[in-house]
Amino acid sequence: MPKKVLLLSLIAVLVTVNGFAGGQKETSQGPVTIQIAYPVAVDAPVTEILDGYARDFMASHPGVTIEPVYAGGYTDIKTSIQTAIDGGGQAPALAVMLATDLFDLVNARYVEPLSDYVDEMKDGKAYLNDFLPVFLDNSYYQGKLWSLPFQRSAVVMYYNADLLEKEGIAPPDSWDTLASAAEALTLKDGDAVKRWGIEWPSGWPYWVFQPLAIGAGQNIVGESDTEVYFDNPSVIDAVKYYNSLSATYHAMPAGVQSSWGNVVPNFVSGNTAMIVHSSGSLSKILSQADFTVGVCGVPGKEKGTFASVPGGGNIYMVSGLSDAQKKVAFEFAVFMTDPARAAQFSIQTGYIATRKSAYDQDVMKEYIKEHPQALETRKALDNAGKELSLQNLNQVRTIFHTYIQAAFNGDMTAEAAMAQAQKEADEALKDFR
Amino acid sequence: MIRKSHPLLPYLLILPTLVFVLIFTVYPSISSIVGSLYQHRLNIPKYRDPQFFGLGNYRDLFESQQFRLIMSNTVRYVVVLVPAMVVASLFLALWLRKKRFARLRVAIFHPTILPMVSAATIWLFFFTPDYGLFNSFLRLFGYSGPENWIGNPDMALWAMVIVAFWKDTGFYMIFYLAGVQNLPKDVYEALEIEGAGPVITFFRFTLPLLRRTTLFVTTVAVIGAFRTVDHVFVMTQGGPSERSSLLLYHLWQVRFESLNVGQASAITVILILVLLMFTIANFIFSEGRSKDV
Repeated sequence: MPKKVLLLSLIAVLVTVNGFAGGQKETSQGPVTIQIAYPVAVDAPVTEILDGYARDFMASHPGVTIEPVYAGGYTDIKTSIQTAIDGGGQAPALAVMLATDLFDLVNARYVEPLSDYVDEMKDGKAYLNDFLPVFLDNSYYQGKLWSLPFQRSAVVMYYNADLLEKEGIAPPDSWDTLASAAEALTLKDGDAVKRWGIEWPSGWPYWVFQPLAIGAGQNIVGESDTEVYFDNPSVIDAVKYYNSLSATYHAMPAGVQSSWGNVVPNFVSGNTAMIVHSSGSLSKILSQADFTVGVCGVPGKEKGTFASVPGGGNIYMVSGLSDAQKKVAFEFAVFMTDPARAAQFSIQTGYIATRKSAYDQDVMKEYIKEHPQALETRKALDNAGKELSLQNLNQVRTIFHTYIQAAFNGDMTAEAAMAQAQKEADEALKDFR
Repeated sequence: MIRKSHPLLPYLLILPTLVFVLIFTVYPSISSIVGSLYQHRLNIPKYRDPQFFGLGNYRDLFESQQFRLIMSNTVRYVVVLVPAMVVASLFLALWLRKKRFARLRVAIFHPTILPMVSAATIWLFFFTPDYGLFNSFLRLFGYSGPENWIGNPDMALWAMVIVAFWKDTGFYMIFYLAGVQNLPKDVYEALEIEGAGPVITFFRFTLPLLRRTTLFVTTVAVIGAFRTVDHVFVMTQGGPSERSSLLLYHLWQVRFESLNVGQASAITVILILVLLMFTIANFIFSEGRSKDV
């Protein structure tokens, strides 16, 4: 019996020592595995692209394993990260989430700052300066950098250039010309509409409405993270203009009619002459439309003015990682945002390349020569205001959606709806002021 | 001979269920009740650590116009949907009880097995403005507008009801079908001999005999209706102007979008209370009736 105990103890000691030795080896320079969570609900083959990035990175970094994790949309990715962290589990190291979610993600400690890693880079400053500034604006909070622009877009107006030319209408460059063009391009057969002049989605309205407000002279969100201008006269003016396109000009379906998903098919099939949509739909539109597609910013109130807002997702580093994982995660994030990849990603998906130098890449120059519209989407950003991004984002955004849809549907006047939205938003923001 | 069983055996037999009930029902419920008494908001630094708030979360909810609207949506949704489903499933079961209708039963049951997300996506297309199935149908009667059913504040909630009705009626029909097929044949033969008409037969005999099935179906249907969330995600996201937002969808928004853990716990407690009250009331009502019979 004692012999057996001795033997067992010896085995136990050997196993323990071996385990410790192995563990030590692992923490010093052992293999590192990280996951990157990515929303697949976009009009692009993102799984192929991301799998390729992971393969290329692993080939040049022995001992590193990158596992892409795909889920529905931005919301699904964010929810899965939150549940993993709140439940004490291990969340993916990197995640592509909405740039506008910055404040909530930081306040709830779901993400890690990236400033220290950028500072450690040899050319950290140059690296950051190469991003289009309008995209990087959403990355700073509390004096730190929290995300890197990746899958970014802008609100643009697409128009059927062939149709406009045929009808002798110049591309609109003001509210007046937009309304008259939309009216002229609407085709009716008795009561039934054969072709709408314009469609402007209103199912998730804040984003596509913002350029209209900016074009009227006032963005709905201020520079600080707790200011909104919902009841500003210019914003009310923009709501009234939106409603006039259906009520006065009969050129757009009335009320909350156009949904995000139907507008692009209506446009490419020729059932709608002009649409306001994401630049992220460019590739799909170009591949499906059998007419020349024109792209510009959303015409402003004054002649010759245009407006837009950026949109889309950034790469965040999720909290709760080991130092080795953080290091690899940041390296992979930098790898993904490399100018050549940014150019290629833009060509493959239609999203706007996030870095200035991406536009100097030969493939990009070649692509723009063939598809000048790709450059127009970037140009639209020159007149872009800030996307609605602020503290307590969800609640404030829901309030805005509730009342602007009430104004679109005629349940409330533009003035009453926006005044109530302002009142409730101020209440939702009072804890942050 | 009376077999002597071990005194612990019954307890051991219910132990697995008990463990699951404790972990997944009792513990979360108690934790929600406790959590609902705290101001705990992950996205506000000063409330990141829970602070005692008493009944503040409940007060905020009942003072909120938005929450009152969502409660009213949910009640209207349940009050219209559940009776419609129960009545329709009963009639379908009575109609299809003959064996020769087996194929039709499958056709009516099949929406049940579709994932809600796919079903909602299909219906999204039916409700589309201009060329959607519903508008094409209305055109037969001279309608010419582009009506987007889920964009109209007066129609969005009913569009949700239509989808849920289509999806779940077949499921409840199966329970009634089982109930109907177990009805005593001799009673019906006697009724026939006595010359009882179909109306009397249905209201005086069939319906009372199916009472327990009805209790089960209404309970499950009400709980199911309160728990509806998937098609709100896919079809309307609660819009327009929150007119189609339902309680569980709102709960998700408050917890995961607004990161308000305390208020989400309060909504959970309200949901549990409503369902508990309904189930107990339904049970008492039904059992009370059984004594009269």
